[in-house]
Amino acid sequence: MSRPRPSLGRWRLPVGAVIALVVAFLIILFGTLIGPEGTIQMTLGRGVQLAETQYINALTVGALYALVALGYTMVYGIIELINFAHGDVWMVGSFASWWVITSLGVSGPITDPVWLVIVLILAFSISMVATGVLGVIIERFAYRPLRNAPRLAPLITAIGVSYILENLIENLISDSIVTIPRPIPNTELNLGLFSIGSVNLFVIIMAVALMAALHLFINRTRLGRAMRSTAADRDAAQLMGVNINQTIAVTFFIGSALAGAAGVVQGLYLGYSQFQIGFYGGLRAFTAAVLGGIGNTTGAAIGGFVIGFLEVTCNVFGYGKWSEAFVFATLVLVLVFRPTGILGQQQGDRA
Amino acid sequence: MKYARVGASLAVLAVVASACSGSTASPAASAAASGAAASGAAGGPAIAVKVGIELPMTGGEAPNGVPTANGVALAISQIQVPGFTITINQQDDALNGKHDPNTGAKNMQTLANDPQVLFVVGPYNSNVAQAEIPVSNAAGLMQCSPANTNPGLTQTWGGVDPKTLRPTNPDKIAYVRTATTDDLQGAAGADIAFNIAKAKTAYVADDTQTYGKGLADVMAADFAKLGGQVVKRDGIPDSTQDFTSYVSSVKGLNPGFVYYGGVTTSGIGLFRAEMANQGLANIPLGGGDGISDGAASVPSSFLQIAGAAGDPNTYSTTAGPHDVASDSTPSATDLATSYKAKFGTEPGAYTAAAYACTQVFLQALKDVGASAGGDLAKLREAIRAYVADPSHTYNTALGTFSFDAAGDTSQKIVSYYTFDPSTKDWKFLQQRDFSKNPLQ
Amino acid sequence: MTDTRRQSPSGLRAVTGRIGSIAGHHQSLTILVGLALVGALLPLISAVPPFSGFGTQKDWVGGFADAGVFVLLAVGLNVVVGFAGLLDLGYAAFFAIGAYTYAYGASTFTGLQTPFWIMLVAGAVVAAVFGITLGAPTLRLRGDYLAIVTLGFGEIVPVVALNADTYTRGTNGIVGLAQPNAYGLFGITSFPITNPWPWYITVLGIIAIAFMILYRLEDSRLGRAWVAIREDELAAASMGINTISTKLLAFAIGASTSGLGGVFYAAKLGVVDPTQFHFDVSFTVLAMVVLGGMGNIWGVAVGAFVIFEIQHQGLKQLGAFIQSLNVPVFQVPVLGSVDLGGINFLKFQFLLYGLALVAMMLLRPEGLFPSRQRRHELHEVAEESEEAAEDTSEAVKGA
Repeated sequence: MSRPRPSLGRWRLPVGAVIALVVAFLIILFGTLIGPEGTIQMTLGRGVQLAETQYINALTVGALYALVALGYTMVYGIIELINFAHGDVWMVGSFASWWVITSLGVSGPITDPVWLVIVLILAFSISMVATGVLGVIIERFAYRPLRNAPRLAPLITAIGVSYILENLIENLISDSIVTIPRPIPNTELNLGLFSIGSVNLFVIIMAVALMAALHLFINRTRLGRAMRSTAADRDAAQLMGVNINQTIAVTFFIGSALAGAAGVVQGLYLGYSQFQIGFYGGLRAFTAAVLGGIGNTTGAAIGGFVIGFLEVTCNVFGYGKWSEAFVFATLVLVLVFRPTGILGQQQGDRA
Repeated sequence: MKYARVGASLAVLAVVASACSGSTASPAASAAASGAAASGAAGGPAIAVKVGIELPMTGGEAPNGVPTANGVALAISQIQVPGFTITINQQDDALNGKHDPNTGAKNMQTLANDPQVLFVVGPYNSNVAQAEIPVSNAAGLMQCSPANTNPGLTQTWGGVDPKTLRPTNPDKIAYVRTATTDDLQGAAGADIAFNIAKAKTAYVADDTQTYGKGLADVMAADFAKLGGQVVKRDGIPDSTQDFTSYVSSVKGLNPGFVYYGGVTTSGIGLFRAEMANQGLANIPLGGGDGISDGAASVPSSFLQIAGAAGDPNTYSTTAGPHDVASDSTPSATDLATSYKAKFGTEPGAYTAAAYACTQVFLQALKDVGASAGGDLAKLREAIRAYVADPSHTYNTALGTFSFDAAGDTSQKIVSYYTFDPSTKDWKFLQQRDFSKNPLQ
Repeated sequence: MTDTRRQSPSGLRAVTGRIGSIAGHHQSLTILVGLALVGALLPLISAVPPFSGFGTQKDWVGGFADAGVFVLLAVGLNVVVGFAGLLDLGYAAFFAIGAYTYAYGASTFTGLQTPFWIMLVAGAVVAAVFGITLGAPTLRLRGDYLAIVTLGFGEIVPVVALNADTYTRGTNGIVGLAQPNAYGLFGITSFPITNPWPWYITVLGIIAIAFMILYRLEDSRLGRAWVAIREDELAAASMGINTISTKLLAFAIGASTSGLGGVFYAAKLGVVDPTQFHFDVSFTVLAMVVLGGMGNIWGVAVGAFVIFEIQHQGLKQLGAFIQSLNVPVFQVPVLGSVDLGGINFLKFQFLLYGLALVAMMLLRPEGLFPSRQRRHELHEVAEESEEAAEDTSEAVKGA
């Protein structure tokens, strides 16, 4: 049963997004202004200033989750597998970027713009290729042999692969927090209406650019079409001459490469990595993918930002320790009213 | 070096692990055994006994457990008890890379089932201790924790009587500890904030874990008692990845002091680094012994993660005296030297405490070892009774102390440290003896 | 369908009727004899090398009692995942609820001293109520959406236990839980902490009862309704099965088995705290079910036992075992000299566990002991799921 769509038509999504962004800002502003006893704890001007900072924080971490969520959603879209190892691919990506950055001798902010660009290009390209290849290897050895097995079998191998990756990094690189030097100098850029940290701006632009590139790739290229057709009906796609194995491998490559990019972002923005970040971080990203409507790349991006906002909002109101429960409670509520997520296709009773 | 890390080469597989190779006697322990056997001057064959070790040895918590376990191995290799050969029965309470109470309780059963085990050093984590105390109590096997600081393990805390942890023999304690409790370190944190950093307002956070929350709760209460104001009491889960928004809210509150109860692995160093990143490095930050884990040169220590921005206004405390020197026991410096010679790394925060726990056992064995006439079950009980007796004093690597009737150390000393930018290490500030000089 | 609604009470009545007539039935006898045999033979392992070197018989029996908890969890999850085909990733929540129920019922925290045997029933009932509460609003979700909702619930429960400290003592946990009382049977009153035998026999008894009930259910009208729903929900609904109440019952029964495990676990450990119920427990139990062979109660139990022993004994003892073999140091071209006895296997236990999971799934994707009928069905499901992929055609298209 499809619901009648509002007359907004194709503007529905952008208008909704703008309204959501404004509402989110007002909520954060409210939380910032109100102190623990329900009193107003600062002037409006200062409150707006701080709320802006928190808003940018939310957007930035949301972009990070969104990049990871894309990989979950792409893999789910094409082989209906919850790829629990994906969070750990992200973690491996962050260690790859740590390796690149420290091997280049970077120990702090780089002031020379040319060198900075070279470092960033190297970090992104090496991490993305490394994790992309890792994703393809995982798919080849842990999932492909089980493609026609019971549905839960690859889920268990995914959990197994996750343990393997974590343990390897733990034993071969570090069993604790590893700091990653931040090459981008942290300056406040004044954009008129509000100011934004240079790192935050870079992360958000990078994430949006990668998402736009993915969108174009899926919709405008031959391989993208193959991916869509494989997701729609694997057998039919095969009959039409699509190389299924290759298409799935490409999907894993791209999804994992995006996780690699997220790993670099982790280092640039948060400045550290640890062998267990893929576990909880991956869980949040996966939640984002489901919240947005799993299998839908735009949904995953939206879900990532929503999770980022939920976390920051919780903390602004002083309930940071409840943020995890709050995120999941929101997920349950959203799914109760929209059983396939924010942008998911309504299934109706087709079963 | 606190973290017994493994190099990134495959040759690693061939490295012989020192004190953490399986659950039987370690090579270090066997070496100690032969030394003791040679000096078995008491006549007759030496009796083989074991000291149990129950610590997290794998996963993210190996950096806590391994140097602590090595402290035990070091002690039995250096101190001999005539008539006994002492080896180690080592257990690991980490499951899925984290300490696990059920595994701890099971390990305690295993140790209790090994008749040669007369004494146990461990555990590291208070919630593991909660599950182990009923077992050690039922088995009459004395355990000494070098690191537990949760007051509830020995004292009435949060309305719960510690006797409920000892259902089998409520009045016979089989658990002692060398660390002072969180209530003292929390008080020390308040003392630092109010009297040393001269702060009137504080932002108090914890990592929502037993240790961190207990510490932060006490600090917040004592800070208010001293006349300060807690502007926000936050809980930052240890699974938190992104500290930026927490730091941004600190920016908004602009407190005079930030106190963070928790351990480095929960991300306090990252919080401090983020404070510097957002231009808040001028706000002093304090924490407990969970962050006094070595100089900035130690990988993954608080100071290393907090970064070069580290300021003189960063404070930590440890649950014990700064250094003790005496004739009969090695000072902290001697201990560090011999530790380094034996294991090739720097000792951990609780190496000396584990060494002291072992010294308690060795003294008890020396004094009552002959009384049981080789009956291990009797000997186990004799040692339990000896250590539980508050009249005995011990001269150890931590100084001279005794255990009170509840099993707490008589030492109520908390040492204060501050970051020294020139050495990039913690610098000893002062120590406060809370038994003589309580807060207020 | 007007009569779908009437289906549920009659299904329920059938269940309670069946439960009442369990005694004396021949299948129950098989279960009893089988479990008694297993229960008698298992402790003998402590006399067989190399296992004899890993610990005393008491160690082994104590370990088996802990394994029993996971057997209960696995057979309970098997009802949800194996019988009804609903993927539940937050099963540890019900385990936690059972454990906390015991903590409320028999500790100084509340001052209540309800006997363990009553609390077993109470734990099962409370867990079932939570199962229904979670299931009622969410069971209309399709497959993997349900999975993530259960995963979320599984995380919310420990977060609440951690942060609502007024009601749960937060991170300190609730301590000093009472031991079960045998009222002088076999000379035992309060279960001794250091003697694992009473615990072992008790958990065997609980498992036996759970097995009998679950086998009954599997063969009942309800069991067939679960299979029907698992195979084709739409067809099942049009055959007059009330899909919602049938799924709810699966959730409730699965949760109550977990609740039993939670009560026993809490009583044996004597303390509950929030760190013990995170989703690594849920994942482990799911791995047990899948590895054992979904849908096959005995298979799942064996899977639980095998994984538990690998995790808690096998990996920890591997190093000691290899040391005891005294393999000489040998030379490998690239690596140089390799001393197997010197490898610290404890550090690599998760690598080995992960490898074991992957290898076992690759070798036997259906699990160790799939029931023949189910193996066939599962393959069909796998093919159907490809059809279902159609639903996500927008997957990539909608982007």
